Amino acid sequence: MWKTESKGAARVEEAIKQLLPPCQIKCPINEDIQRTNVLISLLPEEMEQARPQIIEISDYLYEKNPFFNICGYICGLCELECNYKTKGGAIRRRLLKRFLSDVYTEHLSQKEEFGVVRDKENVAVIGGGPGGLMCAYALSKKGYRVTVFEASNRLGGALWLIPSYRLPADVLSTTLSNLVRIAGIDVKYGAKLGEGKLTIEKLRNDGYRAVFLAKGTPYPRVLTFDGEVVEGQDLSGVMYGHTLLYEVSHGNIGRDYFEGKRLIVIGGGNVAFDVARTARRLGGDVTIVALEAEDKSSRDGIPADEEEISGAWEEGIRIVYSRGVERIIGEHGRFKGISCPKCTSVFDDEGFNPKFDCADCVSLEGDTLIITVGQVPDKAFLQREELLDEKGRLIVDPFTLQSLRKGFVFVGGDVRRIGFMVEAMKEGLVAADSIERYLRGLDMREGRKRDYEGYVIPVRKSYKSDLEVAWIPPEKRMHFQLFEKGLTLREAREEAKRCITCGPCVSCKACISIGFEKSLYAVEVDVERCSGCGMCVYACNYDSAHLTEVDGNTISKTDMFKCKSCGMCVVACPSHARELVDDGTEQRIQRVLAVL
Amino acid sequence: MKHYEPKLVCFSCKFGWGYLADEEELSHRIKNWVPIICSGKIDAIHILDAFKQGADGVLILGCPEGDCHYQDGNFEARKRVLLLQGILKAYGIEKERLRIEFSVDPEGNTIPQIVKEMSDAVARLGPVKKTKDKAKTASAAHR
Repeated sequence: MWKTESKGAARVEEAIKQLLPPCQIKCPINEDIQRTNVLISLLPEEMEQARPQIIEISDYLYEKNPFFNICGYICGLCELECNYKTKGGAIRRRLLKRFLSDVYTEHLSQKEEFGVVRDKENVAVIGGGPGGLMCAYALSKKGYRVTVFEASNRLGGALWLIPSYRLPADVLSTTLSNLVRIAGIDVKYGAKLGEGKLTIEKLRNDGYRAVFLAKGTPYPRVLTFDGEVVEGQDLSGVMYGHTLLYEVSHGNIGRDYFEGKRLIVIGGGNVAFDVARTARRLGGDVTIVALEAEDKSSRDGIPADEEEISGAWEEGIRIVYSRGVERIIGEHGRFKGISCPKCTSVFDDEGFNPKFDCADCVSLEGDTLIITVGQVPDKAFLQREELLDEKGRLIVDPFTLQSLRKGFVFVGGDVRRIGFMVEAMKEGLVAADSIERYLRGLDMREGRKRDYEGYVIPVRKSYKSDLEVAWIPPEKRMHFQLFEKGLTLREAREEAKRCITCGPCVSCKACISIGFEKSLYAVEVDVERCSGCGMCVYACNYDSAHLTEVDGNTISKTDMFKCKSCGMCVVACPSHARELVDDGTEQRIQRVLAVL
Repeated sequence: MKHYEPKLVCFSCKFGWGYLADEEELSHRIKNWVPIICSGKIDAIHILDAFKQGADGVLILGCPEGDCHYQDGNFEARKRVLLLQGILKAYGIEKERLRIEFSVDPEGNTIPQIVKEMSDAVARLGPVKKTKDKAKTASAAHR
């Protein structure tokens, strides 16, 4: 049974030239995707035997990403850039991680705490969402004493707004409670900054030497048309999507809350779709009205994920594209309908600037209107703390996340720019790095910028198609249990095997850490022997072996950044001009042959 | 005819065969076994050398088609085997003495069995007929 050895553990930071597989570049926190795919593909066939190795792989991922088992349910950004996507479908990395998660989440409560001596400065993290916790995790591992100030009575922030049919509540709560335990992070609940005497200045006086502000966007954005707030948002029967998701996640809404009701959900983002599908599960007859167009590839395309849209469609939700809301119609103080002019364009070169054709206007009637057009930060608090400029924008260095008004304050996550969970996590990591530099008196910028270069797809005779994602059929999934089936061990091994490991060996080293290879052997070309015939170029699947001119002679060379040390070129060379340095295979063969 | 046990050399791809087993332990059960990172890394020379050194057969175990970690190493190995079988024939070495199998067996438990099966088949052929003349004619024909 293989066991990964620390000596072969790859860390992205160590890779020279920062060449990475495209999935790993796409992942904001550069997770070691290829390496763990290889390890998953080599799991034992029986679950009982596989379990310790699944935990081993997961422990490795956890070091860098203590949220990975949540990512396995809701992320999958990496799949967008997979080299395989045009050759049979991207590797289902999200589901592979969910497969690990299904074993690892149970194991988390037994995971030992990190034995870190925390004797460095006190740092305050404001907000217990993914951004804040990631920052706290990174700093705590480095020996800082971190306290998270969470306004509510539970960690997770906006993650709780994700409906439980996509992310089960127990996976979320188990992950969060163990994260703070394992990393030794102190949490103060019900501690809302800006309320009572709790201010950033007070934190500073209390001995916190740096502050990471990741308060997220607690308030819904109000509906506007042509720059003006649309009237009627205070009518009975009008609500905001966030409020609904919040109340549902707290168990405050009955199962048939919207039974027999006609609902209109305004918005085209993932959250709007979460709201619509939630409302549908509560018995409502739901129509989504989105400003954006149906064609996702156009500039004005709907931002929600393909899977959200098809899921909603399957569940019987109507989607009206390219319509804005000019007016909310009420009757006797109750919501009655909306009038929706055609949206002719959403973005121009300057950004969001919707244009409408009011001659083409339709009216939609309904019993309830749910507005889900975005969320906004607590501006009043930021204003009081003097973190905004005169135009009401945060003044933060986008590279270091350091506030330009208060040097000991760092700002990141949704409060700065709304994004995916993993983008907030990335900002948490950036802030943690900045805070360390700030407290250690180091240069805030030096050596931080990384340019990554992706890899092209290797040459291959055949490609396999991806596995079918299994969803419970719509008529059977009108509840809040997971509707997507996880992978079996067999499926996970097969899917991981599809990964063509297009990335460079230096950032992977899976084969070394499990003892398949001793090192990444360099290919050496004996120029005296090389005739420049090009057989090696033909044999190489990675565009690594190539021909070049030296003193008027054509000879072959190997680009070590692309080379996988597979030895195909060595075997292909008719004049034995190529050799893998330090590779013991030849000796091993000769030893066996010698005793025949 | 007295009992004759053929000498087989077995190469196996590490990504397909026996990677969960203890290599040391498994090597006691498989004589002349060479686990190799990719079947595509087995040179024609290695195979010819094996026969030169007195092997009665060479068995190559590659990973399943389309599974190669190095994209197409197993395909290359198969190609090489087919071409070599023709050359070996010219030396009087039957093509049954060089065999390639594509499958996956993480525990490697089936390897001794496959070796045994091939060994039985080779035993029926008897030892490689080393007729010097034959070799001479063959090499002459190649010149």
